[in-house]
Amino acid sequence: MSAVADVLRRLTVAFTEFEGRLEQTPLIRKLTRGRFEVADYRAFLVALRQQVKDGALWMSRAASNIDEEHLELRSLLMRHAVTEHRDFRLLEADYVATGGALAEIRQAEKNIGSEALSAWMFHEASRPNPFGLLGAMWIIEGLGSIKAAEWGRLVQQRLSLPDEAVRFLLYHGENDAEHIGEFEKMLDLVLPDAAVAERIVKTARVTGRLYALQIEEIAA
Amino acid sequence: MSGLSEAYITGAGSFLPGPPVPSAEMEAYLGLVGGRASLFGRKALRWNGVETRHYALTPDGTPTHSNAGMCAGAVRAAVEDAGLGLEALSFLAAATTQGDWLVPGHAAAVHGELGCGPIEIASFQSVCGSSLMAAKAAWLSVRAGEHRAAAACAGEFSSRWFRPAFYEGTALVDAKGRLRSEADFLRFTLSDGAGAVVMEPAPRPDGLSLRVEFIDLVSLAGRFDPCMWAGAPTEGRADPMATWSHAGPVAAHAAGAVALLQDFELLKRVIRAWVGVYLQKVDEGRIDPARIDHLLCHYSARSLREEIVALLEKTAGMIPEEKWFSNLASVGNIGSASIWVMLDGFLKSGRLKAGEKILCVVPESGRAFVGFMLLEAVG
Repeated sequence: MSAVADVLRRLTVAFTEFEGRLEQTPLIRKLTRGRFEVADYRAFLVALRQQVKDGALWMSRAASNIDEEHLELRSLLMRHAVTEHRDFRLLEADYVATGGALAEIRQAEKNIGSEALSAWMFHEASRPNPFGLLGAMWIIEGLGSIKAAEWGRLVQQRLSLPDEAVRFLLYHGENDAEHIGEFEKMLDLVLPDAAVAERIVKTARVTGRLYALQIEEIAA
Repeated sequence: MSGLSEAYITGAGSFLPGPPVPSAEMEAYLGLVGGRASLFGRKALRWNGVETRHYALTPDGTPTHSNAGMCAGAVRAAVEDAGLGLEALSFLAAATTQGDWLVPGHAAAVHGELGCGPIEIASFQSVCGSSLMAAKAAWLSVRAGEHRAAAACAGEFSSRWFRPAFYEGTALVDAKGRLRSEADFLRFTLSDGAGAVVMEPAPRPDGLSLRVEFIDLVSLAGRFDPCMWAGAPTEGRADPMATWSHAGPVAAHAAGAVALLQDFELLKRVIRAWVGVYLQKVDEGRIDPARIDHLLCHYSARSLREEIVALLEKTAGMIPEEKWFSNLASVGNIGSASIWVMLDGFLKSGRLKAGEKILCVVPESGRAFVGFMLLEAVG
């Protein structure tokens, strides 16, 4: 069995575990049970913004810690960071389109889960050759490609919001198709290596747990 | 050493009521809700790939069999297939989604229809996965030495729940007379029949028996809300204090809380959860896809969406489609009975050789449940 397939399988298990946990969080329960309100959506956007804003930053930091033996991976991470580093502006625009004030989302504090998640990501990104972060990317990209559009449609349906208030969630779902293929390429750059494989899976599991904590801590 | 003996499936049987019904004739049997043709029927059929199915109804909707009667028929066929008589049977585990009675359990009804002497019984009520819950009880009873011949059966009489009276005059039909998709889809998905297996502590003297290597059942109900259910309206269905009996039968019916319903948005998430459980079994070495000779999955490969198949392939979890055996397209999706009717059809197809391994997978959307049974052909 190939090392890449082996890690992809363990990452898929980690993602479904994470998805099951999300399903149990009070915020997502409100969404799936039809009790979601605009205040919930705004609180959701606030939490997402923290994480999205940090995303490009930890990715850049991770890239700066990748050695010369892995320049291809470094390039990929840098490109990725560039693509995403302004995405939090879209979240702010969505927030404003729901009737929220820009200052509110910009000044909001990180919740306990967001603090833990952010600290963890920057900590990992600061290590030499932080390949474990591929596991974190799997979780976070998976959210973008699998969950975001699903949540976006539910939010829109429940709250009857215009498209311009749900752009971040809906827009993410569209970048879906190439997701696994690109990720496979990245894994190929660092595998086979048993220690790296373990670290990728472990990082995915920790990231999923802390991400779920962030969602758990959202209180409207 | 566990001190448990092995247990083998030594016989299998099916009971399919009436003739195969082609898709074009389904609505004659099920009836038109409010006199209107179904809105979602064709879409459901495209998705599930079923071409013919069986109904325990005449074309005008008159019942021809009971759920318990069909199960008894399947048990008799399985006992016969094992070369035994009913008198050899000392344990009956019966499964169904919805029995003929609300009370008592389905196994009592099946035993009643069998009419044999005193035996031990156990009832399992869930959806498709109830089949393997019953099988596990039978398997463990035989392994523990409590019984020398045990039957596990499962049956469904779904069609009577799909008759117009379950929907007309309820909140499931809108002002324009359209039935909600949560209800309509299922009418074109599920049908009737029963299946059974017999288990014994030794293989049959001639021909092939199936050694049961394991039966693993995994519920994720702690995380997911009901996905296919009856007994609560769509909104608020996760609250056990808001279920039908609190309103009383008349008000519950009017609220659309009695019919069988499915949440298709949730189903997509539940499918991913099943895949996760399966891949975990692969990862733990419990299931080795390379060593599976035949896959019997109560879900057609074609109804799994492309990205799920791609994911299984990329994670070395896919069992190649040529190893899948299914008769869903011709016998229909019979809920809990499907896996036994499929196994029976497979055994009678003559494809199985001694030493081969069969993996049975029974996902249940009821509330995110999935069961696996690994069999090895011996003899």
